Amino acid sequence: MTIDMNAYLGHWPFRRLRHNDAEGLLALMDRAGIDRACVSSASAIFYKNSQAGNEELAEQIAGHEERLIPFAVINPAYVDWEHDLGVCADEFGARGLRLYPNYHNYALGDACCRELIAAATERGMIVSIPIRQIDQRQRHRLLEIPDVALSDLEALVERHPEARFVFVNGAGFTGSRLGRADGGLPANYALGISRMRATIGDEVGTLVENLGADRVVLGTGMPFKYPEVALLKVEVLDAPEETKQAILGGNAEGLMGRLT
Amino acid sequence: MVIDAHAHLAWRAPGSNWEERDRALIDAADRLGIDRLACSNLCPRRPSVPEDFRQANEWAGESMREYPDRILAYCYVNPGWIREAAEEVRRRIGEGFIGVKLYNEYPCSEPVVFPLVELCIELGVPILHHAGHSHYYVAAQPRMSGGTQIAELANRYPEATIICGHLGGGGDWEWQIKALRSAPTAYADTSGSVVDEGMIEMAVRVMGAERLLFACDMSMTAGVGKVRGAQITEEQRAMILGGNFEGILAQRRAQRGGSR
Repeated sequence: MTIDMNAYLGHWPFRRLRHNDAEGLLALMDRAGIDRACVSSASAIFYKNSQAGNEELAEQIAGHEERLIPFAVINPAYVDWEHDLGVCADEFGARGLRLYPNYHNYALGDACCRELIAAATERGMIVSIPIRQIDQRQRHRLLEIPDVALSDLEALVERHPEARFVFVNGAGFTGSRLGRADGGLPANYALGISRMRATIGDEVGTLVENLGADRVVLGTGMPFKYPEVALLKVEVLDAPEETKQAILGGNAEGLMGRLT
Repeated sequence: MVIDAHAHLAWRAPGSNWEERDRALIDAADRLGIDRLACSNLCPRRPSVPEDFRQANEWAGESMREYPDRILAYCYVNPGWIREAAEEVRRRIGEGFIGVKLYNEYPCSEPVVFPLVELCIELGVPILHHAGHSHYYVAAQPRMSGGTQIAELANRYPEATIICGHLGGGGDWEWQIKALRSAPTAYADTSGSVVDEGMIEMAVRVMGAERLLFACDMSMTAGVGKVRGAQITEEQRAMILGGNFEGILAQRRAQRGGSR
């Protein structure tokens, strides 16, 4: 079972995405050999009311629940998020959140965010945070959104030891406490590999070694990115087949299993 | 034959692990099925001075001789040193270097670059030019060439072989591709860490597969994965992966009367 923990449907305002409806994404998954994907709305990142994006996502996923696992984009600084969280979890079947603190103008330590994470954790949902959505160098001239700081994530996982986090579209973890099992942080997070280096400067292999094979998950970033790139990183990983299978899907199944 | 058209060897700073880093490049090529790597060695102090770019090329030549079946060498110079750069290029091409690498010392459309381009035409070798286009001021690279400057140079010298560096090296790759549409003799390499889905397909559609060169620029799985994932014909993929670069290398051989 190959599970992508970093996938999207919907639109991005600054570049036309392809394969960004359910049929298109499923075809892309078939092409790449990906069985299931944790999917959130790309449109919701820019909608003021991100719940509208979650509604679009639910419409797209309907009938494809076996392969597309909804994650909800919730902005805790926006009015009525508590209601939206309930709808996403209870009606749309969302298994996790995607949070965008720098797009939605709040800090991970703000009271509203703490409340959201606590509420989602109470519901057994995973909290996924993309460190970035696009490469900074290609940003639109009107928009400069900084990456989520790894130091903020260190504080986050310490603040919520009971939560389960998945950080995607990140790199440079090997230089932080997040990249080491002996970093003094709770083992309540996993790291997606879409931006990590393999072979030269092998961050994927280093994390398997230093953090643990059970803490690294496949996350391609499709359809923003070619899914084949993340899969190739696992293919060339200098590790036993058992480790590769864990990264490709076993670890994600473990995270999802905790939800059921 | 798979040829990486844009790679780098390590600057051999005293006490550095340059041998290990160069070996890691070869190892990565082995694991990813890359037969040959077209490499330059860039000096860290830039704008570079003759003493430094001569040293960089001396080391690139040593690497080429150490790995004769794997490493092809570009001669790196700062075109502002008009006489010294020309002497260095002529010397190194005579030693078997396959082309010239220019970085960001000058926008490539400035007249100071022209004598070097004319020399490369005379010698029958390509120029790989660092390039990028962002929609904000890139303070670290005020003289970086964009696709428009590359196209301007290529159209000024249609008999030259100009390669626009790293479509995926950050910045607006759609801009780069569209800018190069009007320069039918210019090539682009596909390297860089950006693996946006659809990039290769657009480049093939707008520029033509015959003008694209597979490359990694040290982002090895990104370089291979995006070409692997692109929805193009196998004939187009083979052209991009090595066929086109073999054609460029043949220009030099033809100019030398078939001997090499």
